[in-house]
Amino acid sequence: MTLQFEPGQKATYKDRYTDADDGLRFQDLEFVGNFVGQEPLKDGILGDKVQKQRAKSRVLEKVSREDVLKDQFTIDELNDLNNYLAWNIWDVLVMRATEGVSGMIPRQEYEILAFMHEFYRWPEFLRKTTDQVGAAGILDIGASARREIGTKINAVHDWCIGAVGFGMGRCGLLALEAIKPDDYVEESNEILKFMQRVLWGKRQDGYILNSQDRYRGRIHDADFLETITNQLEELQPDSPDHEAFTRFNAAAELLSFLDHFDCRLGLGDTGPYELPNGNILILRDLFTNEAEYHWSDVCDDEGLPHAYTLAIEIDPNAMGLQEIRVNDIATTFTRPKNYIPYIVGGAVFAREKWDTPMGEVRNVKISELGPELEKVQRATLKLYRKVSTMSRRELIWAGHDVYYFGMILPHLRKAGTWDQAVNSWQIKEVDQRIANYYYDIQKRGFAQETVPLKIFSGSGYLPFGEGADIRSSKYAWLF
Amino acid sequence: MTVLAEGFNAFETAKTPEGVVKYLGSPQDVIALLSSGKLKEHILLVRGGTTTFLSPALSMGAIGIITMSGAPESHLGILSREFQTPCVMTAHLTSSDSRYVVGATDDAHFEEIRQGLEGKRVRLEVSDSETGRVVAA
Repeated sequence: MTLQFEPGQKATYKDRYTDADDGLRFQDLEFVGNFVGQEPLKDGILGDKVQKQRAKSRVLEKVSREDVLKDQFTIDELNDLNNYLAWNIWDVLVMRATEGVSGMIPRQEYEILAFMHEFYRWPEFLRKTTDQVGAAGILDIGASARREIGTKINAVHDWCIGAVGFGMGRCGLLALEAIKPDDYVEESNEILKFMQRVLWGKRQDGYILNSQDRYRGRIHDADFLETITNQLEELQPDSPDHEAFTRFNAAAELLSFLDHFDCRLGLGDTGPYELPNGNILILRDLFTNEAEYHWSDVCDDEGLPHAYTLAIEIDPNAMGLQEIRVNDIATTFTRPKNYIPYIVGGAVFAREKWDTPMGEVRNVKISELGPELEKVQRATLKLYRKVSTMSRRELIWAGHDVYYFGMILPHLRKAGTWDQAVNSWQIKEVDQRIANYYYDIQKRGFAQETVPLKIFSGSGYLPFGEGADIRSSKYAWLF
Repeated sequence: MTVLAEGFNAFETAKTPEGVVKYLGSPQDVIALLSSGKLKEHILLVRGGTTTFLSPALSMGAIGIITMSGAPESHLGILSREFQTPCVMTAHLTSSDSRYVVGATDDAHFEEIRQGLEGKRVRLEVSDSETGRVVAA
């Protein structure tokens, strides 16, 4: 598949938002998953459409607040969510998954351990948190993201609750033959309900995922967004300010990846928001200093904030923009691919701590980015040296922590249950089953080949059977 | 124009970086290259498409990258776009039929690419929306 674009041609990306449009194809691969014997699914808008047509329930359509507040899904709803998340995971990650070995961080190993740990232990944390703040309180946690920047209550973290904790965790345990398809139904419901409530509360348009809305994650209230766009500075192409802004964006994004052990939890985009002048805006949070990770002390030493937020204004016509996807792991992809030269405005904000009030978030003028960039670069080098001296075991368990508790850290913090989770629920301990799996997953290519194949092909997300009971856990460890 | 290798193009750009291919196999290799002060003389050749491994090289202004796995959606693909550092991903030698397959590629494939490119002076041609090319300079 070759798509050629001419920069400067009129933007057609808004065509993607008409009902009849099926979107562009960003890849040639096709998805089968549990739809064996049926037409394989494509990526993008078309894939979402077909999933909705094949669903047995209404859970993939816009749902109401009353629907979301119900405590239990039906088995059909669970299976529709399972199928949709399997496709969504493939849609956003199948090409990323070709990246092979890190050369530095054993990511496949830490990922699979964390997936399985999440499936086993998150249900307790999420249920207890829901007990304390109520179902409506979980919606409010999601809704808080509408009026904040520099918050980890964002698409990627929220998506991870269901896609990773439920989807990949269950997939990994099925592959390991540690569970069967009809085990842990009640726990699956607990995880998916929490995800649905957070995401519904955040979007408030009835959908939960960006892919259901043609890859739009426009969550901010208009009056709040205006406080951001009021700070936009004009950036002339190839000007020193353009260079300073884009270089800072890249450097801070790089450190965010590194601080989160090469995973996407370090960054989060929302948008695209259309501006009055016809340009589009992406809001990008870059989390450069996560206090819960001990290796982040080098970021702290450099005085780096919890997060920088970049407001990025893009001229879609100069770019000839055909499609823009802000996907469910909060990453922006465009056709044409290269949007950087078409950035025509920008603003930078710094949030010192995760709970710094919005009124105290500081605006960093683009002319003042030089010292900030130097801090970011120094922290990157120090963190690289630190990580490069860690043993393989240290790297795996550190990466595991980034996923296992990092994915629900923002929600528990906001709910006020994080300290309890650490001190009483022992969230930072390692379950004995997972400790034992540490050795199992390193045999016969389980972490590097078996699980990635099942996760990214969609073949490992077995449906709940006709006899599955929404109340069922796992009662016996036999064969 | 002799095309030595080609692969996925991380992003379209008119830039045509030129340099001697340097294979980086470990974090220590990365740190040694930075310490040498010769980072900008080289097109960097790496196995993976992850980003942390090359972090300091990207941060300090690497001019071009060739990977033996990964895609524009991989973390290194995303970061090379943000840094505007041309990057050809999952490159294969045009003189060989060997191709990278996820989870089913042995060391010989990677070693062949290393042998075919390391030490050669090359230029990256990355204006096409899909395919990036490594050409002899």
